[in-house]
Amino acid sequence: MVATVLRLRYRVLANTLARHPAQLVGFIFGMLSALWLLVLVVAGLVVLALWQGAEPAQTVVVLGGAVLILGWVLGPVLIAGTDTTVDAARLAPFPLTRRQLMLALAGTGATGIPGIATAVVALATVVLWVRWPVAAVAALACAVLAVATCVIASRLVTTLSEGLGAGRRGREIVGTVVLGLIILTGPIVTGVLMLLDASGSPSAQFTQAGTVVGWTPLGAAWAVPGDIARGAWGPALAKLVIAAATLAVLWLVWSRALVAAQGTSRQRAARTVKPGSLGLFGIMPTGGIGATWARSLTAWLRDPRYLRQLIMVPLLPIVFWFTGGAASGLFAASTVIVALVIALVGYTDVSYDGTAFATVLASGVRGRDDRLGRMLAGVCVGLPLVLAVALITTGIAGSWRMLPALLGAALALLLSGYAVSAVSSALIISPVPAPGDSPFKTVPGQTFVNGMLVFVVMGAVLALSAPALVLAAIGVFADLPVLAWISLIAAVAVGLGAMIGGVIFGGRVLDRTGPDLLQRIRALPAR
Amino acid sequence: MTDAPALQIRGLAKRFGDKQAVAGIDLDVPSGSFFGLVGPNGAGKTTTLSMATGLLRPDAGRVAVHGIDVWGQPTDAKRIIGNLADGVRLFDRLTGEQLITYTAMMFGIPRPEIAPRVSDLLTMMDLRDAAGTIVADYSAGMTKKIALACALVHAPRLLVLDEPFESVDPVSAANIEDVLRGYTASGGSVIVSSHSMDLVQRMCDHVAVIAAGHVLAAGTTDEVRAGESLQERFVSLVGGRHSSEGPAWLRQS
Repeated sequence: MVATVLRLRYRVLANTLARHPAQLVGFIFGMLSALWLLVLVVAGLVVLALWQGAEPAQTVVVLGGAVLILGWVLGPVLIAGTDTTVDAARLAPFPLTRRQLMLALAGTGATGIPGIATAVVALATVVLWVRWPVAAVAALACAVLAVATCVIASRLVTTLSEGLGAGRRGREIVGTVVLGLIILTGPIVTGVLMLLDASGSPSAQFTQAGTVVGWTPLGAAWAVPGDIARGAWGPALAKLVIAAATLAVLWLVWSRALVAAQGTSRQRAARTVKPGSLGLFGIMPTGGIGATWARSLTAWLRDPRYLRQLIMVPLLPIVFWFTGGAASGLFAASTVIVALVIALVGYTDVSYDGTAFATVLASGVRGRDDRLGRMLAGVCVGLPLVLAVALITTGIAGSWRMLPALLGAALALLLSGYAVSAVSSALIISPVPAPGDSPFKTVPGQTFVNGMLVFVVMGAVLALSAPALVLAAIGVFADLPVLAWISLIAAVAVGLGAMIGGVIFGGRVLDRTGPDLLQRIRALPAR
Repeated sequence: MTDAPALQIRGLAKRFGDKQAVAGIDLDVPSGSFFGLVGPNGAGKTTTLSMATGLLRPDAGRVAVHGIDVWGQPTDAKRIIGNLADGVRLFDRLTGEQLITYTAMMFGIPRPEIAPRVSDLLTMMDLRDAAGTIVADYSAGMTKKIALACALVHAPRLLVLDEPFESVDPVSAANIEDVLRGYTASGGSVIVSSHSMDLVQRMCDHVAVIAAGHVLAAGTTDEVRAGESLQERFVSLVGGRHSSEGPAWLRQS
């Protein structure tokens, strides 16, 4: 039975790849890069085994292994719906005992690409201990233990995030928080290491961290062989117990969670507002422009797929502040990068509509009305954000003299971005997560050419904003405030002109391409 | 223009890869008629209706709505079409009430008229209680009903409904049926695709049977069924009916 489920999963993968040749290419590239990474890791381990003693080897394995397990735990949260070809809900109609179900799910987890890669890496760590035969044997057992821990922990998290009633909304929030944490990881790790040992060298800090992590469930399994090699039998036994207990507890909790998840249906509590509350649809003027404006702005403010891109806005200045301090040029210029990020959010805006674009098409709305509505919505969000970041960062850095140049550069990028998006989103369809899916879901179907189009769009934005950017740069570096002011004027003038042109030209393009866009959206995989 | 049929389709064709989904279809939906489009799965019903409403570009053929060329003057044509498409999403992050309001705004209905129309439609579709609920949280039948409400909100002259009664509960279906009858009685035209032969025979004055991208029979419902029930006539036209009692292993005794 378990073997049947495993075969089913490979069958599904093969069928998907056979149907979408572009995906097959992507898949092969993914495999090759994974393989290359594996070769590097294994080679690194061999070098470590040949040239280093037990202690550095243990530190590397424990820290690396802990990160690996952490990755497996966070994976399902970040990339919701990871490999849902086989999950508990889909297996529910079949007469499987809970133990069979768990084995089938764990088996598919372990035999996927990440599972195989993890297993290879874990087994490769055995080479570190060939000089100590007993440790090597223990390493083999511990590798199995560690891989099992990875798989079970990941399955547990998947089950929890699906079954715990929190549902989509909850998962989206958790995902956003985790992404924020990851972006802030750099500063946090630096801070923690500084706390650990303010005076020690980096290698001493790592050793210390490795010792601590080795006693936690994340690192215990990886730490056992090293302890044995050094003859520390007591700690080795204790850590083995920790590792085994971790796996046992995970298995038991997962078993409980599966039972709990079976009870709750996938139906969530309906999200309801008071009848009569029309939101933006009660405010905007009637007609194609107003309707599109209201719908698009609602998406910018409510749809996690847009919000995900907006969380970069506060994070970028914070990261630059951490890395360089308030006086750094990078922090002062963070508004410009924020503007570029916001400018590119809508470059494939129609893709986010999904097949709901059919209702736009069926209404016969004129292309330029649609373009203008979407643009106005973007401006309503982007302009206040860029102005706020500019004023706040300038205020913190105290660099008010730079403000005109900063605004010139940032507004040039932002307004050009709206202008280019008005045209590009009438031409480009990219695979994006479906409405309601996790915004972090990696969507298959992205082709190489399509990925390159982002750079074409970015190039067009830079070209349109070049006059203002150059003037602003000269104004700052040559300390000529007049040029900075001219750059601000040029940014607004060129930007507004380009936006008008973008609405008219993009509108004409959309009138022509509308039905073809819909057909391309429908042709995307998994729709 | 008053004589022009509500929907006139000539030589419509569409190919997807190796599959000729629609192979030259001619149809006339007379003004004021209730027209049923029936056919087995994969016959090309949805493809035909998508091309007729300007959502899918045909490889060949012409479509005119009340004399307006759908692919030549799409904006004018779509203004008088109410379209319930099958297999597409709605903007389902909006509440039901917001979605109908949005659709009304897209068609440029004057602001003072929007709220009363939305209110009437919510009552008509028995969705009053779900007005403030996000459409993504609707059941399949409720989603159909809200889509139908959106198709009606701008009082179109031609309604194109692809599987409008799928998953809709019997009470709502009967209510909607009454509304559509009143609509055609007052001069509106409806073309509806369905798998329910009883429903089509009861409601439609005209019917076309299509299979494998071709029209097998078309005309008034009485002409097409030629004395038989529509169900029997459909099966004899399309074929493929089995008479076995099912495999031996499935029998319980």
